Amino acid sequence: MDGVRVGNRLVGTQSPVTIGWENIPRVEGGPVKQFIFTYFQPAVLFALILFWYYAPNSIAKASTAIGIGIAFKLLLLALEWVNPRYASWRLTWKELVTDLFYVGLGYTVLGLVENHIGADVVIEAVRNSYDWEKFAWFTSMPLLVQAFLILFIFDFGQYWMHRGMHNFYPLWLTHSVHHYITQLNINKGAVGNPIELLLIGIGIGGFFDFLPRAALLAGAMGMSIGIYQHINVRFNTPAWWRFLFNTTEHHSLHHSQDFEATRSNYAANFIFIDRIFGTCIDGEAELLGMEGGRRMSIREQMLFPFTEGWKTTKERLGRSRRAKGQFAEQDTVPAE
Amino acid sequence: MGDVPALRDAPARSAKSGLNLRFIDWIWNIRGSVPLAPGQSSDEAFSRLDPLFDQPGTTYERTGDALSFAKKDQAAQDKMSIFDVGVLQVEQSADGPVLRYRMASRALLFCFLAPFLFLAFGQLIVAVGMMTAPATEAAEKDKKDEKKEVVRKLNPIDEFLGAPAPEKPKKDDKSEKKDDKHSPTAAYVFAALFAALYVVGRLLEDRLIKNVFRRSLQTP
Repeated sequence: MDGVRVGNRLVGTQSPVTIGWENIPRVEGGPVKQFIFTYFQPAVLFALILFWYYAPNSIAKASTAIGIGIAFKLLLLALEWVNPRYASWRLTWKELVTDLFYVGLGYTVLGLVENHIGADVVIEAVRNSYDWEKFAWFTSMPLLVQAFLILFIFDFGQYWMHRGMHNFYPLWLTHSVHHYITQLNINKGAVGNPIELLLIGIGIGGFFDFLPRAALLAGAMGMSIGIYQHINVRFNTPAWWRFLFNTTEHHSLHHSQDFEATRSNYAANFIFIDRIFGTCIDGEAELLGMEGGRRMSIREQMLFPFTEGWKTTKERLGRSRRAKGQFAEQDTVPAE
Repeated sequence: MGDVPALRDAPARSAKSGLNLRFIDWIWNIRGSVPLAPGQSSDEAFSRLDPLFDQPGTTYERTGDALSFAKKDQAAQDKMSIFDVGVLQVEQSADGPVLRYRMASRALLFCFLAPFLFLAFGQLIVAVGMMTAPATEAAEKDKKDEKKEVVRKLNPIDEFLGAPAPEKPKKDDKSEKKDDKHSPTAAYVFAALFAALYVVGRLLEDRLIKNVFRRSLQTP
């Protein structure tokens, strides 16, 4: 494969990718379908912002956010069924069971671990070690600015954590499992080794004091932007949205079987962070995964970082021993 | 083609261990039969089924009128992705030749056991909550003493746009506040979800694979 030159990179030499918005297929169908799949994403985002901005205090609660989140996910699952981006990504019973297992872990034991030894404890410790009341000015800013900053600071931290995972082997071991997924759908964001899921939860946004309504707004914005990363729906996403936010197109490229393509589009919500640091590539891919698209079982997903880490350590130790052996042999060669 | 664990040996193995799995192995096994097209030989039938076994991670072996297979790391869109091992056999019945099959699925077994796993998670969450309750309460009290309740104000822009002002923190509410971090509700919801998914999967996958076999064998 020849690949496509993007800046200094040659993308798509190992697996097919589509580069450039002009080459991405558009939604097929009548004007109503075109309209819905063009304006759905911004309409939901603005509707949710308006809702959380004006909802009375009796409704503006976390439980309402959870309810809306579940209803929204069900709607998106229906959209995936009606207008899939790729038939090869269609949800099957087995995929759904696997995905929901990870979603369930997130809602139960991972939450428990996070409360006691994970991100929540780290955040609490940092908050207690410094007089964060000095940051009280944060709560006096306009609600939407607070919400944007909460999300942006979290995304900025996550960008570097994610980029670190693609560049530092011990972190990659935990993240690689997520890259073995061979198709995208809205629950795939939850699939990965639990250790990675704990690491990615650490974000500096949690350190600030903010108004509860701002946090709810940030949550709603994050949900109605971030969820499209893993969705299997063909949208005619508006150009301004694609410029600012991460889309399923960007993220499919990040999950491509092509190595160079995976080293792009790291931000969870704001793709402009990638644009600033030169890691954004606009495009998409259908063939996803690692090792030519080998699907991993749940058992292997749980053990992979440990088994793979052990294998690599053994190889390196073996190599260094062999190398030492060679030196020793060389040393003992009589100097004649 | 490689080694295939013969499913036909399974009853013998279970008899040896003194456990009769026949009463429970419907949980992870799917059995069924599909009539062959009139005059179809077993060779012809298996050659029609060939595409189902020419998939990544699949090994199979033909011996006479039987085919045994094993699948590993099945692709998501593999039509037999839920099955790991199985035997298909062409037999003669009163109405003519039929293809009988018995296939085992780890995914079905996993989904059957998942509700128990999530019930256990629920219990674990409750237990951790009970163990940590005294410490958390004390910490909360400390915090309450330290922090004076501040009534926060909205930014003038938000006031102008009409966003509801933040409420005053209710003191009484805090003492009665439920321990949300240790609620087992989510675990129980997922247990119920997996129980429902198992029932759906056991019926759906049974029907889907029967249709796949029937279509492969009988489509002219």
